[in-house]
Amino acid sequence: MEDYKYLFKVVLIGNAGVGKTCLVRRFTQGLFPPGQGATIGVDFMIKTVDIGGDKVKLQVWDTAGQERFRSITQSYYHSADALVLVYDITSRESFNSLPGWVKEVEQYASRKIISVLVGNKLDLHKEREITIEEGNSCAESHNMRCLETSAKDSDNVDRLFLDIAVELTNNVRNVEIKSGPVEEEIRDHGSVQGCCR
Amino acid sequence: MAAATSLNFDSNSLERLTEMKDIHEAYEYLCKQENTIAEEIDELLEHQTNLEAKMSTLYRSVPNLQVVNSDAKQLGSMVSFTCDLAENVSGKVRLLDLAKGRVQEAIQRVNDVLDLKFCTDGVQTALQSEDYEKAAGHIIGGSVDVALHVLQDAKQNLTKIVREKFDAALVTADRASVERFFKIFPLLGLHDEGLRKFSKYLKSQIADRCQEQLSQASTLDSADRRAAVVYADTLTILFEDVGKVVEIHQPLVETYYGPGRLLQLIQWLQAECDEQASRIVDEFIRNREFSLKSRQVQALLHRGSGRTSTAHERLDPRELDVMLAECTLLNSRTELYLRFIRKRVLNDLEMVGNDEKADADKVAVLEKLLRECLLSRRIQELIGNYIVMEEYFMRESVIKAESMDSLEQGSHTSSMVDDIFFILKKCTKRAISSGSVDCACALLNHTTTILEGDYQDSLYAKLRAGFPSGSFDVAQAYSMLQQGRFPTSSSDTNAAKLEFMTTVNNIEVSLEYIQSLRRSLSEECAALLIQNREIGKDKLESCLNDLGAVTHKFKDVLDPVESSAVKPRLKPWVDSFLSVNHDIREDEFSMYEANDPFVQNFIMNLEQLLAEFKDFMTPSNYDSLVSLVTNEVTTQLEQAVLRSVFNRLGGLHFDKELRSLVTYLTSVTQWTIRDKFARLTQMATILNLERVTEILDYWGQNSGPLTWRLTPTEVRQVLSLRVDFRSEDIKRLKL
Repeated sequence: MEDYKYLFKVVLIGNAGVGKTCLVRRFTQGLFPPGQGATIGVDFMIKTVDIGGDKVKLQVWDTAGQERFRSITQSYYHSADALVLVYDITSRESFNSLPGWVKEVEQYASRKIISVLVGNKLDLHKEREITIEEGNSCAESHNMRCLETSAKDSDNVDRLFLDIAVELTNNVRNVEIKSGPVEEEIRDHGSVQGCCR
Repeated sequence: MAAATSLNFDSNSLERLTEMKDIHEAYEYLCKQENTIAEEIDELLEHQTNLEAKMSTLYRSVPNLQVVNSDAKQLGSMVSFTCDLAENVSGKVRLLDLAKGRVQEAIQRVNDVLDLKFCTDGVQTALQSEDYEKAAGHIIGGSVDVALHVLQDAKQNLTKIVREKFDAALVTADRASVERFFKIFPLLGLHDEGLRKFSKYLKSQIADRCQEQLSQASTLDSADRRAAVVYADTLTILFEDVGKVVEIHQPLVETYYGPGRLLQLIQWLQAECDEQASRIVDEFIRNREFSLKSRQVQALLHRGSGRTSTAHERLDPRELDVMLAECTLLNSRTELYLRFIRKRVLNDLEMVGNDEKADADKVAVLEKLLRECLLSRRIQELIGNYIVMEEYFMRESVIKAESMDSLEQGSHTSSMVDDIFFILKKCTKRAISSGSVDCACALLNHTTTILEGDYQDSLYAKLRAGFPSGSFDVAQAYSMLQQGRFPTSSSDTNAAKLEFMTTVNNIEVSLEYIQSLRRSLSEECAALLIQNREIGKDKLESCLNDLGAVTHKFKDVLDPVESSAVKPRLKPWVDSFLSVNHDIREDEFSMYEANDPFVQNFIMNLEQLLAEFKDFMTPSNYDSLVSLVTNEVTTQLEQAVLRSVFNRLGGLHFDKELRSLVTYLTSVTQWTIRDKFARLTQMATILNLERVTEILDYWGQNSGPLTWRLTPTEVRQVLSLRVDFRSEDIKRLKL
């Protein structure tokens, strides 16, 4: 038996080339492998983190951004606990595609899903085409949180995934509270371990 | 001054001394000189011994020195002798060397002259007799400076001829000539050119044959057995053709061009394969109205439920079914072909035995080619659309199976369960047969989504109203079925009950079916993984596990049956226990034995109740129901017991009643019942005691294998039900 208390599925989506694979590899392996080819289909990686004393296993699904793999990607929305919608802050095009992605999520994903908007490539902020404000207001209009990250510099990557893990763990515990002993809600990262830096 | 003067003294001058003064002077001088000399002589005499010692030492050394001298002379002569000898020998060797060099040069020259003569003669005769292989062979052999330009001329001449002849052979598709000249290029050092020209020839061959096949395909009679998969067949023929070309020509390339050149050849050939495959895919898309259907499906899916769409009628599911099968065939053929190419090139690379870095680079080039070639992209596009259409097909078929749901008399489950699982299995198996792990995973995901979504919802919706109360007339229920269909709106509770029971069974069977679906799909996936070098194993396993886990979301379906159909009916039957007096005399006890006032009737009622359900339930569902009924019986009976009073004979009678009940319930189920009666049995034991203190024979240390399910308080409470036990005795008990 594997040793974990909760398993959550996190699915990354967004246009091709915004850095989904890099975010996943940075978080799960601590690597930034430059110059990879486009992802074919989907792939997942596992990382177990400690959330308030419980082992939480995150199954992070990396998906291909190219249109021809869209139907494969869509089949994973339903079982996802969290969706990370990624754009590239240096690419207006990737940002403009967001409404299309949101529509897909609404169509296929379960209603309980957590979605987070992520503007990646913060290391290239000098070439920025999308301001933080734009990102925030887009996230707000779709009821999401927004975060800017850099998979290259490892900025906000752990925070992104750990926030999701904490929120999902709290949600499950809240359901359990009705039938089981009350567990304290985790409010900050003080009790979160397992980030690799 | 005196010394100066004294120098002038000699014997002659002394005689000439005349002056006294002078004589004196001379005398004194001489005296002084005598003294000095005497001193000097003394001094010298002092050294004499020393000198003599030294002299004697020297005298003793003389013989030694003579030996050394003679030895040195001998050595000297030896050295000079050796030197002479060495000079002599090396001189001769040098001479020999020089002579040998000259002889070699001479031989080389003679050889070259002969060679040249032979080559120039050979080239000319070969050219004359159009034997270009021989001519090229001669060119490789020649290397003499003087004749080089002759040979280079010949080489240029030959290259020109070979090119012209090769091109001519290409135009006339003269296979023998093409292969002949193809072998000459590497002899001329023109490996790349030869391979490129050759691949051009092969490409044109592939293209011609493929176009022929494609035009045949377009004229194929639609009634033909292979008509439904004609594009998959055409693509297969193309792949087989490319495969054959590689099979046949790889040994040639390897022999004449050396190993490690297959990757280059494949890169050129794949360009043609891409183009031809793309044409086949275009034809497929056009003639099967693939894009149109894909768009229709997209539109239907975006509208949400396809239940009441009019576009649905335009989309013939059977036609869709056939096309989907061809889609997966197109993909599986492509996967097979790409695997073949990968294996071939890797084998070829292995033979070269390059360093790891160079190998890794070439493997990366190969993988990129396989992943990103036009063929792969076209097929990926196709499969992307296929997945959407397959999902649609699956959903629509499930909805149809639900709408055509019917129940045959004597069957526990209705038709939709078998039908729906058949559809799910068929569609997902088909997706797995495509050979694409991602495609297989996508349909596994959709199957999971349907099962835990629409399917589960529709089943549970039928249970939501609960089990109608009142008795259940089976014959009446069946008569309400209209040709096996449940009445859509009927106030008849019997039909509603039948539907409820069927749904419960449907759910129960679905749980089994989910696991067997998972098992059978697992096997299909295992076969897929073997082909696929285990790549994507984790993905498939994760998706299969999700499918298996759907079972957890189907549970507790019998609870509503129990609470609405069993509980209320049990109540009056158990209550009748209260009307039976358990504080009885001997004659009453005998009368009870002859004519039981409670339990026979109670068992009969239970039997009737369970019989109502038995025929409509799967065996395991029935066992679950018996278990639920037993729980309810024991709970209610316990309460009834606690509200009664007993004497010794009454207790004995209760014990008998209980045994009958346990025996009956044990007989109707596979599951164990006795444990559920543990508390009641213990109550009967207590009610059967002779006196209060007898309980201590069974309590605490004396309990033996018996585990008390009653608390001390409950034991006292039960003891106090005995009218003949004094409450002080009960209070005094130390439990």
